[in-house]
Amino acid sequence: MNEGLKEKLEKAFPHAAITSMRDTDYVVTADKESVLSLLAYVKDAGFDHLTLISCVDWIDEGEFELVYILSPYMKDNEQISGNEKINLILKTRIARGNPAFQTVTHIFENAEPYERELHELFGVHFEGHKRLIPLFLERAYDIPPFRKDFDTRRYVKEVFDNIPAIQDIKA
Amino acid sequence: MDRNKIGKWLKQPAKMANKYSLNAVYFCTGCGIIEIPPVITARWDAERFGIIPVATPRQGNLFMITGYVSLKTLRAIIRTYEQMPDPKYTVGFGSCPINGGMYWDSYNTIKHLDRYIPVDGWIAGCMPRPEAVFIGVTHLWTLIEKDMANGYLRYREHYDQYRGNQEKLLGKLDWPPLYATGIAQKEIAA
Amino acid sequence: MVATVAQCVLLPVLGIVIGLFFLGLYRKIMARLHWRYGPPLIQPVIDILRLFFQGGMSHGAVFDFGLVLSLAGAMAIILFIPFAQWCPLQGSGGMLVILYLMLLMPLGTALSGGEAANPNASIGISRKLILALGYEVPLLLILLSVMSYYSTISIVDIVRGQQASVWALFSWPLALPGIAYILILPAVLGVRPFDTTTAPQEISSGPLVEYGGKYLAFEHIIHALSLFLGISLFVNLFLGGAANPIVFFVKILVVFVACVCINAVFPRLRIEQAVSYLWKWPTAIAFLGLVVVSLVK
Repeated sequence: MNEGLKEKLEKAFPHAAITSMRDTDYVVTADKESVLSLLAYVKDAGFDHLTLISCVDWIDEGEFELVYILSPYMKDNEQISGNEKINLILKTRIARGNPAFQTVTHIFENAEPYERELHELFGVHFEGHKRLIPLFLERAYDIPPFRKDFDTRRYVKEVFDNIPAIQDIKA
Repeated sequence: MDRNKIGKWLKQPAKMANKYSLNAVYFCTGCGIIEIPPVITARWDAERFGIIPVATPRQGNLFMITGYVSLKTLRAIIRTYEQMPDPKYTVGFGSCPINGGMYWDSYNTIKHLDRYIPVDGWIAGCMPRPEAVFIGVTHLWTLIEKDMANGYLRYREHYDQYRGNQEKLLGKLDWPPLYATGIAQKEIAA
Repeated sequence: MVATVAQCVLLPVLGIVIGLFFLGLYRKIMARLHWRYGPPLIQPVIDILRLFFQGGMSHGAVFDFGLVLSLAGAMAIILFIPFAQWCPLQGSGGMLVILYLMLLMPLGTALSGGEAANPNASIGISRKLILALGYEVPLLLILLSVMSYYSTISIVDIVRGQQASVWALFSWPLALPGIAYILILPAVLGVRPFDTTTAPQEISSGPLVEYGGKYLAFEHIIHALSLFLGISLFVNLFLGGAANPIVFFVKILVVFVACVCINAVFPRLRIEQAVSYLWKWPTAIAFLGLVVVSLVK
């Protein structure tokens, strides 16, 4: 990654911490107020592809960590083109009790299914999302199943093991 | 191979024709489907046993479920199974339909396929090799020969229980029951 | 009189037997070309036997009627196309009747498949009718030039005329329509590259998508008959027919094996590619043939 973008980011967002795990990654940790403006800024700077939105459950700290992974298409951008493929990982933390966050669908349209998925599997509510309806799951769950306090073994015992085997009535 | 024995053909043509013309509906669920292309193409050539894949459930009589079954897939599997004409044979392929396999504690994968639709035979393994498919097919021939591959009859007989299990897991099903359920069915049995 | 009735009964049976033999041979040759061992030669018979013992499901009266119409059309044409010296209905109508009856097979299948109300069936039917539109234009031009060259509509007389001189394919003015017929023969038979109608990987075997049990068995028989009929017509018109049944059988066998080899090496065309092919070279050659034939005549 070019050093210019890092300096510019540090200048524009002084509260964001920028670290790097390897040469092709840049990890930007920001507070949740500045995420939307940061996303809009890096989109203009060439990272115009939102690869994934993910979520990490930090149950001991009582927080969810939303992870936005972005990469450039390397097209029509002098700063980016010619460089090797780089990812920009944007992390932010939100409260775990009654989790809610702003939608980013007005910046990246393809965020829609990712946010629906997180809403379904982690229970994160995205304000402003137009179609926050179930995506994958067939059954209703008390606790969203990807949270760490969801006990899969107890759930399997309660639901799947309660389905009886087929009895032969004639015998 | 007793395909050339004319006496058997004259005595039980239906059974013999069912044995040597298994048209398979490969339900592409999970990772097992990756073992099917070698089975039907030049390396192992399932067509010499009369096994060919068909495009729609109405034309087939062998239903292969090749891998783990999530709840959403189970819905489609039941619908596909009910569309196939009798007699039909179901084979569970891989360890996931048998008892959940590596998804034994998953929140969204069913553990025992034979509690929702009748299964005539299993091919165990994770994944089974293509040779295992042929061993499974020869076992299925033996079962057909001895009238033991009667899953479609069991489905009709215990339809109450099967439909009950399906509705217990999937909620209310949005298609009508295939056979008469409840009291009417018991009257027929009596 | 007795001989005619016997031929009327036996020729459809013979057609079905030869058609099923062709289907088995088709699967065997395809397998050998794929470097596989392949199914036994009687596999289509086993399949049809299995389908008759399997419970099928009808989708309404028109579904049954279309199937019967299609089968009846196929069986009727057999009586008008000579199999070697046997042609029970040679005095009545000749080529014109064949042209009309040829339409019954696709129309019956279209009626019947459409009744099932499956979207895949509708796509398959529309493709079948478009393909028929594609190959009917050159086919009509070809038949017109053959009929005007021999000044007769009787297919028996055409065969007789060829046996008196030389096969139409190798005689000068009729070589052009012959080449055009060879170019459209895969489309008439519905083999690859023109099998868009029943493409199993795209539209779940098209019009046959809702067929099961005995209905599908009848469809297999109709398919076998249509293979037999398409090749018989070509052999009679351009390869000189035959004086005895064995020679005739060898001739249709050779044409069929050639078609299977074409089927094995070509990928499937899209429907608009198929029509643009059929309306370009075969139509041009057939039209040129018609002009030359009418000038020579």
